[in-house]
Amino acid sequence: MAEIEWPWQYSFPPFFTLQPHSDTRAKQLAAWKSLILEYYRITKQAIVDIREVHSSPLFNNSAINRILFRQDNGKLSSEAILLILEELAKSGNASPLDKTKQRWLIYWHTLEEWGEIIYNWAQDNGFIGSVCTLFELTQGEDTTHQEFYGLDTEVLIRALKTLEANKKAELILFDDNQGVKFF
Amino acid sequence: MRRKAGVGAIQKQKLEQEKYRDKGTEIQENQFEQMTKQMETFRVNLEEFASKYKNEIKKNARFRRQFTEMCASIGVDPLASGKGFWSVLGIGDFYYELAVQIVEVCMATNYKNGGLISLDELRTRLIQARGRRKEHQEITNEDLLAAAKKLRIFGNGFSIVPIGRGKHLVQSVPGELSMDHTAVLQQASLSGNAYISKSTLCKELKWEPGRTQKALDHMVKEGLAWLDEQGENETLYWFPSLFTACIVSKE
Repeated sequence: MAEIEWPWQYSFPPFFTLQPHSDTRAKQLAAWKSLILEYYRITKQAIVDIREVHSSPLFNNSAINRILFRQDNGKLSSEAILLILEELAKSGNASPLDKTKQRWLIYWHTLEEWGEIIYNWAQDNGFIGSVCTLFELTQGEDTTHQEFYGLDTEVLIRALKTLEANKKAELILFDDNQGVKFF
Repeated sequence: MRRKAGVGAIQKQKLEQEKYRDKGTEIQENQFEQMTKQMETFRVNLEEFASKYKNEIKKNARFRRQFTEMCASIGVDPLASGKGFWSVLGIGDFYYELAVQIVEVCMATNYKNGGLISLDELRTRLIQARGRRKEHQEITNEDLLAAAKKLRIFGNGFSIVPIGRGKHLVQSVPGELSMDHTAVLQQASLSGNAYISKSTLCKELKWEPGRTQKALDHMVKEGLAWLDEQGENETLYWFPSLFTACIVSKE
């Protein structure tokens, strides 16, 4: 796993306090957005569970003893992280997995971008007109150097659905057989 | 008789006075002519000197400082005018070019420091931006100050804030910093940290809490300071422009 290169903001203590001034806050949220996407890209994770984030080094910099938007009880404020996740959702980089918005999927590429990346790969490697299993796409030998290698299955399915909507692919999902046919 | 003699005396006196005046003017003219000649010689020499060492002046930071000091001591500002013989030197151009680059760096870093940058960071970034060409390498803080002063003609959108111990910040956002705001920056800089708290300010500057809070609130409102609510005792006000990791960040 590649080491993440923390941006300067990560060691800047006020980065972990929600800024009251609107311009400064906009800069802060933008920096948080790109940091989260970078972190999830490097660590190849896909899911944020708001109940568990306080243990993640991303939101908790123990070196400077700062936790993202800490509340008086010392806990991380879930409204604050929701604020950032909503921002990510606005740009198509995240979406909630449940109605209570406790679990979120993070897309460091938007679903459309992922669809395009996978479709380009299929085109370049002659998979148009044939069927690939989802396992082959994210764990197979042909894709070890692809960006989508190791991609979360749920994200993969959602990305392929964007292709389906454009009639570029068809998902085959029944029982344990998960595959996709590219057109 | 008395009357006639009186007129003669007055006329005589008048004549003498006129003679004196003429002599005076003559002397004055002579002096003026001499002065003009001297100035002319001096001008020619200075011009010769300057064009002869033009490249040296541009290239060598120490030489450039000595030259501008010399000019200053005789009351000449080589940067002041684009016209006349000073323009052939291109000294002004050197500083104008620098000034434009200063503006560029300030604009490029505005998003993270809110339009306040230390002279040292400015210099580092400028040297990077100007590239590795040898004649561009030596830019001193004095050069930057001289160039930044030229930017004052744009009104209060650009100013230099001395923060003590020979350090300066360059401010590139409209909205002038008052003495109080400058004092806050000075304290933060002198503390060696990139932050300051209300109680420290009250203690060091012997200010009323209200005055301190007003100054700090203004800095936050201008986007120059960030709030940190997770300090040990009280709110800390941080300045990205003084924060080392921000200064050395390649972004």
